[in-house]
Amino acid sequence: MTNKNKKTSAGIGGAAAPSKQARQQSEDSQDYSSFKTVLFYCMLIVFLPVITFFLLKAVVLDGFFEMSELKVNIFSAVGAVVALHIALGLYIYRAYFGGSGAKASKVD
Amino acid sequence: MSSEVTSDNPIYGPFFGVMGAASAIIFSALGAAYGTAKSGTGIAAMSVMRPELIMKSIIPVVMAGIIAIYGLVVAVLIAGALDEPSKYTLFRGFIHLGAGLSVGFSGLAAGFAIGIVGDAGVRGTAQQPRLFVGMILILIFAEVLGLYGLIVAIYLYTK
Repeated sequence: MTNKNKKTSAGIGGAAAPSKQARQQSEDSQDYSSFKTVLFYCMLIVFLPVITFFLLKAVVLDGFFEMSELKVNIFSAVGAVVALHIALGLYIYRAYFGGSGAKASKVD
Repeated sequence: MSSEVTSDNPIYGPFFGVMGAASAIIFSALGAAYGTAKSGTGIAAMSVMRPELIMKSIIPVVMAGIIAIYGLVVAVLIAGALDEPSKYTLFRGFIHLGAGLSVGFSGLAAGFAIGIVGDAGVRGTAQQPRLFVGMILILIFAEVLGLYGLIVAIYLYTK
């Protein structure tokens, strides 16, 4: 059955085959660019709070070491959560405005 | 271990703190896993017909992942404050258990909400793209439930 399908498509679509291939390539590049964007933002959301937590802890401990250990921990945790939400907001903004642009270019 | 074991510093005092740290990350991860899996089935079903919407529809998965980060933050805070029984009062153990349980169960609830809303919202967005704003708002309100648990946990932790 697959052989028969292949034969008919090869017989009929002599001129249509390159355009289909080009469309496939543009879809692939679009998928790749959207994958890159999603991967970047997911890495940002996963690693930014962790890095912020430990960086803030080290920097605040070094800079203002009259603060108690408890306060340093609290500020690091709050800073990590704030950084997390900033990254999430950036992702939602990009998905809302960048996503519609990608869809429009796909319609073309 | 020193011999300063009194009624305020019993040998089992750190048990409560350890259970608090463990329950913070366990229950948050449970909620986040449910949210990821439930909204992941919705994304998989939707992407067959509308693959260009994947970037928008990943948002419930990201929000479910954030629930686990809340639990991770509180678990790291509690684990950093754990100590030997002689330097760790029973009161601090109770406080840490309460902090861990509050963020854990809030995360579990928020993860369930995100999973159900994400599944239905992603499927609906494929049919009617204007639903997207509503889905984001509902997801934010579900996410905030976990944030409330985090706030209570941090407030408890400062006691």
